[in-house]
Amino acid sequence: MTTAGGVQYSKISEIKGPLVVVDGVDNAAFDELVEIETNEGERRLGKVLEVGNGKAIVQVFEGTTGLSISGTNAKFVGKVMEMPVSKEVLGRVFDGLGRPKDGLPDPIADKFIDINGEPMNPEQREYPKDFIQTGVSVIDGLITLVRGQKLPIFSGSGMSHNLLAAQIARQATVVGTNDEFAVVFAAIGVQYSEAEYFRRSLEESGALKRSVLFLNTADDPAIERIITPRVALTVAEYLAFELGMHVLVILTDMTNYAEALREISAAREEVPGRKGYPGYLYTDLSTLYERAGKLNGRNGSVTQVPILSMPSDDITHPIPDLTGYITEGQIVVGRDLFRQGVYPPINILMSLSRLMKDGIGKGSTREDHAEIANQVYDAYSRSQEVRALAGIVGKAGLTDIDLKYMDVGDVFEKEFLTQATDENRTIEETLNILWKIVSKLPKNELTKIKDKYVEQYYQGK
Amino acid sequence: MTTNLALEGTIDKILKNTENSILSSLKISLDDSKHNLDDSVTKLESEYDKIISDGKKEADKLEKQIVGGSDIEARNKQLLALEAAVNRVFTTALEQITNSARNSEYANLIKSLLEESTKILGTTQVKVFTNAKDKDVVKSSLSNFAGSELSSKTIDCIGGVKIESKDGAMKFDNTIDAKIDRLKPLIRKEIASKFGVKQ
Repeated sequence: MTTAGGVQYSKISEIKGPLVVVDGVDNAAFDELVEIETNEGERRLGKVLEVGNGKAIVQVFEGTTGLSISGTNAKFVGKVMEMPVSKEVLGRVFDGLGRPKDGLPDPIADKFIDINGEPMNPEQREYPKDFIQTGVSVIDGLITLVRGQKLPIFSGSGMSHNLLAAQIARQATVVGTNDEFAVVFAAIGVQYSEAEYFRRSLEESGALKRSVLFLNTADDPAIERIITPRVALTVAEYLAFELGMHVLVILTDMTNYAEALREISAAREEVPGRKGYPGYLYTDLSTLYERAGKLNGRNGSVTQVPILSMPSDDITHPIPDLTGYITEGQIVVGRDLFRQGVYPPINILMSLSRLMKDGIGKGSTREDHAEIANQVYDAYSRSQEVRALAGIVGKAGLTDIDLKYMDVGDVFEKEFLTQATDENRTIEETLNILWKIVSKLPKNELTKIKDKYVEQYYQGK
Repeated sequence: MTTNLALEGTIDKILKNTENSILSSLKISLDDSKHNLDDSVTKLESEYDKIISDGKKEADKLEKQIVGGSDIEARNKQLLALEAAVNRVFTTALEQITNSARNSEYANLIKSLLEESTKILGTTQVKVFTNAKDKDVVKSSLSNFAGSELSSKTIDCIGGVKIESKDGAMKFDNTIDAKIDRLKPLIRKEIASKFGVKQ
C-alpha cells in the first residue's frame, strides 16, 4: 500500500455494457483498480481490462447503469484490487466485492493480498491424501473428498444443491487431528432467500465462527460475480498458507460466474466460443480451480467444492464440460432421484472422486472402505439394470438373486442415500450402512471384498 | 365291551397325539419366545446405543450452537467497541492536524505535495486548488512550478493540494484527507495494536 494516489481522468469516450472507455490515459496498468465517480459523487469500482493507444477499457464491477459520458470521472488507483485479510475475517459476512455486509466495521487487516492470487509452484504442490468428513454418507462413503482436492457438484436448476452446500459447510471437519478447520463460502448470483438461508444456517449451527461468507445476490451487478470467487479464494489462501488452517471453499453457483464472463466478452465484442462463452473460458476457470491444493512444508490446505447448475441438465454444456477437465472428479445431482424426493439426490453412477483412493483406508477411514465402496457401486449398478428389466418382464420374471439386487437398490436409496439435512453421520456409521446394504446379498456375491472383511463386517445370516 | 376297549384305545391315542402336539407347540413357542427375547435384548441394546449416541450428537450440536453463537456475539461487540475507540483516536488526530501551525515545515510539505502531484500528472501546466487556510503557503510555493496557477476557488479539506491539468482532463488529489483515506487501513491497524489487538 502506498500513500500516492492515482490520476483521475474525465474524458470518457464510450460506455458499453459493463465497460467504460477512458481517453488520454498514459500510465494505466492491466488489472489496475479504477474508481469511477458519477455526477452525483457515487463511487464504483472497476479494473483495467485493456490499455493502449491512450485508451483504457475499464470493467465496472457494479455496472454502468446511471453513468453518462459527461460528468463521469475515472480514477486509476495505482494498484490491483486487494483484499484485507486477517484471522478476524472468520465469522464475518461480506458482499461479493469483499465489503462487510454484517453491519460491522472493516476487519483490521494483517495483510492486503492481490485477489488474483499467486500462482502455486507445481514443484511445491503436495499430493492430496487426507480425508475430509462431510457427514454426508454418499460423499464420505463413495465419493470421498480429500484435503486439497477440487471436487465440483454438477446440479440442475431448482435442485437441492444449495441445501447440500450448506450442510457440507456446517458439518465438514477433519477427523483425527487438532488442525484448525475453516469454511469459506462464496455465493455467486444466488437469490436473497438462499443467501439468507446460508447465513442463518451457519449462524444457528454455531459454524459461523469458523466460516467466512461472501454473498453476491441475484440483484447485485452481474460483473461483481467475476470478483466474488477471487476474494473468497484470497481469504482461503491466507487462512490456509499463512495461518495453517484446512480450508474448505464452497463456490455456488459457478454458472452465474461464467454468465458474467460471457457478458463482458460480448461487450468487448470478442469472438464467441461454444454457446457464446469466451474462448478463454477454460483458462479463466482454471485460474480459480487451480487455487486449490496443498504446499510442501506448509500445514494448511485449500479444498474446493464448486457448485454449478447445468443448463437443461446438460452435462456436455461448456461449463460442466470444461470444469470436468480441470477438477478431480465430480458429484452429479440426479433429476430422477430429486423427483423421487431423495435428499441428497446424488447419482453415484455418474459421480467420481479421482483422489478418493488416496484418502481412504487404514489410518484415514477404515481398512475395508475401498472394497465395500466398490462392492456397493457394483451392486447398485446391477440393481439399476434389474429395475430396467423388471420394467419389461415384470417382477415375476426375475430370479431370486435379481430380486435381492432390487432390494439392494431400494435399501441404498432409502437408508444410505437419504439423509436429513441436519443429520451428521460419522464415517463409521456410513461404512456400517454400506455393509448393511451388501448384506442383503448372499456372501458368494461379494466378489470385490476380501474374505476377512466379509467375516468381520457381513451382517446377513 | 370289545367295542369300548377299542374306543378307549382310540381315545387314548388321540389324547396322546393331542398331548404331543400341544407339548411340541409349547416347546416351539418356548424356543420362539427365548429366541425373540434374545433378539430383543440385542435390538434393545442397539436401540439404547442409538438413543444415547443420538442424544450425544444432539447435545454436541446444541453446545456448538450455543458456544458458537456467544463467541460470535462477544467478538462482534469487541469489534464495535474497538472501532469506536479507533474512530475517537482518528477524530482527535484529525483535529490536531487541522489546527497545526502553518510554519516552514508545513510549507515544505506543501512543496513536496506539489512536486509529487506535477510529477504524476507529467506537467507543471496545472491549476492548483487548496483550502482557504493554506492559500498563502501554496501561493508562495507555486513560483517553483512554471505555468501553474492557483485557483480562486477554495476546496474543503484539512490541508494539501488538488491539481488539475489546464484542459481539465486529468486531476490529482494530493490533499492530506486523500492521503489519510488511502492509508486508513494501515493507520487503523496501528491504532488497534496500541489497544493490544494482535493479528
